[in-house]
Amino acid sequence: MEFPAVRALDGVSIAFASGEVHGIVGENGAGKSTLMKILSGVQQATSGTMKLDGTPVLLHGVKDALRRGIAMIHQELNLIDELTVAENVFLGREITKGGLLNRAQMVSETEGFLKQVHAGFPATTKVKDLSIAGKQLVEIAKAVAVNASILIMDEPTAVLSDPEADSLFELIAKLKEQGTTVLYISHRLVEVCKICDRVTVLRDGTWVETMDAKKANPAELARLMVGRALQDFYPPKVPAPNGNPILEVKNIGGASLSVRPGEILGLAGLVGAGRTELAEAIIGTRPIGQGTVLIDGKPVRIHNTKQAMSHGIAYVSEDRKGLGLHTSLSVVHNVTMANLRAYGKAVISLQQERKSADTWKSDLDVRVGDLNAPVASMSGGNQQKVAIAKWLEIKPKVLILDEPTRGVDVGAKREMYNIIQRLAGEGMACIVISSELPEIIGLCHRTVVMREGKVMGELGSNELNEESIMHLAAGVEAA
Amino acid sequence: MKKSNVLSEYGALFALILLFVINVVTRGGNFLQIENLRNMVSQNAAVGIIAVGMTLVIIAGGIDLSVGSLTAMCGAAAILIVNKFSTGGMSPNMAILMAALCAIGVGALAGLINGAIIAYGRVAAFVVTLGGLAGFRSIALVLGNGGEIRSQVPALQDFGFGGVAIPFVKDASGGPVLIYWSAITFIVIALLAGFILNKTRFGRYVIAVGANQRASEYSAINTQTVRLAVYTLLGGLVGLASVLVGARMNSVGTGSVGLYYELDAIAAVVIGGTSLRGGKGRIWGTVVGVLLLTLISNMITAYRIDTNWQGLVRGIVILVAVLIQRGRKEND
Repeated sequence: MEFPAVRALDGVSIAFASGEVHGIVGENGAGKSTLMKILSGVQQATSGTMKLDGTPVLLHGVKDALRRGIAMIHQELNLIDELTVAENVFLGREITKGGLLNRAQMVSETEGFLKQVHAGFPATTKVKDLSIAGKQLVEIAKAVAVNASILIMDEPTAVLSDPEADSLFELIAKLKEQGTTVLYISHRLVEVCKICDRVTVLRDGTWVETMDAKKANPAELARLMVGRALQDFYPPKVPAPNGNPILEVKNIGGASLSVRPGEILGLAGLVGAGRTELAEAIIGTRPIGQGTVLIDGKPVRIHNTKQAMSHGIAYVSEDRKGLGLHTSLSVVHNVTMANLRAYGKAVISLQQERKSADTWKSDLDVRVGDLNAPVASMSGGNQQKVAIAKWLEIKPKVLILDEPTRGVDVGAKREMYNIIQRLAGEGMACIVISSELPEIIGLCHRTVVMREGKVMGELGSNELNEESIMHLAAGVEAA
Repeated sequence: MKKSNVLSEYGALFALILLFVINVVTRGGNFLQIENLRNMVSQNAAVGIIAVGMTLVIIAGGIDLSVGSLTAMCGAAAILIVNKFSTGGMSPNMAILMAALCAIGVGALAGLINGAIIAYGRVAAFVVTLGGLAGFRSIALVLGNGGEIRSQVPALQDFGFGGVAIPFVKDASGGPVLIYWSAITFIVIALLAGFILNKTRFGRYVIAVGANQRASEYSAINTQTVRLAVYTLLGGLVGLASVLVGARMNSVGTGSVGLYYELDAIAAVVIGGTSLRGGKGRIWGTVVGVLLLTLISNMITAYRIDTNWQGLVRGIVILVAVLIQRGRKEND
């Protein structure tokens, strides 16, 4: 089973000036990550050239890129937890004396780098004892240690608190003064406008525009990223229902919410705001603490997924490969996995299983040639459809979708929105967890915004906009 | 299907056929005579039964190193019970049945303990069953005072050499050729296990747990029960196998019975194309693996090769099987 390779980037040409902070924005799947992978040597472009200081270069892997002064700081940091800061900074290029490691030298040099990045911890700290922000500083110190002239940062603030983010911005400004070029990828348009000199917008793998960041504003960038007015991209919302909530959550770690049948409830917030944790508490895979869950007004006890299912609650995980699907197994097996009992108490009816997979295939338009092919061979969008089919199998009354369009291409996104509207129209209560504000706004009737595990506020359909959500999510004025 | 996939899918079967072809060319195919084929299936029936159970454990993402020692322990228990019951006045056949049930029960209980520590105690299967490897052997030695336990019931060995006559086939002296009970049990167990793996809900859960345990938990599968069950099932099969071994030899040498069974069983599973990572495997492959290993050792004997080479040949076969499997992984 193969599916046609998707061209992740097409005819993108950008010039980065020396010593500038250059923002790169675009929706998921716009090609930002691919571009950065090519620039940092992780991946080679199939066509096109790259020039460094005017000379064409061909990067042979990350090490080669580093040698040429290009360092990338990944979203998921690449540090070894069990080693010290100094050991991480010098990993792979250790200083030796007479064939033995020269620890003292490495530690003292690392102290110097740490000072440059304003880190407040010693070089002998084990990385596992550092906060995320601290780890990020170690990554930057690593880049400083190799004298990187180009620093690529992928969503560096996604995991930081506001004060941490502010000190990162100061550091970026300082690096810039020293002549370092910073390529700054972020979803947060406000901060992009604030800290960057220029911004490039990518969409569907193509270059849209590069503009002066001081003249750009978040709304404008958002419009360029989406490429069409939101109304065109999102299907019309089904009418918001009234009536009593089917699911009520009270005081799970300071979060309460409710959702009605036929309603699409958004769950917004920054990464790490506790939205997934809340969903997992509802389905019983995480302790619920002092909280209560009510179904149809009656309190229920849910300690595991099985009990959640029996109360009609299904959760489509954001982590498709890890939690949502068995990627090495076939489409058929995945679709029936949570509902296998319906196909036979002991002996399974393979024909019925197959028939049901066929039905879902046409119902959700899953594009796959062979239903017995492993799910791993399918595109993200089709995998997501399989994950949704798997949970629709149990005929849930409440469907929790965690980042339903993550890693899904733009076309499949729209299909996903159609599916969600249709399910709501059929009376299903849908909770959509999403970090993409346009998605929340374009899809949901009502939105609950979380921050640090607590619900910060609720926004009705007419109050839904990026400013109001960001205001609650980050506690700052936003887009 | 790509060429390399065919090789990895059916490699063990091709190897088996190849060895038969070599035998046909060099020795006129004496291995293909009904009696020899019958011997081949019976010879390692005990290991085969264990390997079938091991396949389920490995597909579920586990491993069991204790099966060899457990064979000795269950076998010792079986012989002791046969002797005790028959001297107590029970009919020999009844005593054998009781002993078999007890051996299966003891094995299943041992498997249950393994499984419980692994599934609920969250200890690595390798470590837990390594403990079993040492512990069960020790219990067997205690039961047998460090030596052999002989059966005092002749009916036991009659059962060991009994079986069902193959229709229309006579041996050299005109007598019937029997398929031994051990071979029949092996075949029945393999068919049953194949059915369980491919056609039942439990079998699907075994695959699911091995493929991705956390996704299985999120799919409301009770992964602990599934893992507990596969070890218990394997333990019961070890008990069953131990009775067949004891019946055949009319005794159980507590220090020698079952030695290296765990290695043979795991080797057969791997050669048969079941992934040691779990989540993928097949019973028929394991059966082919057992037959292949048996045929290799028979050929080494028949062709008068120094039997000291046997281990090396097996080692190479296992390595080749794993290398071919790795090739398949990259093709996925």
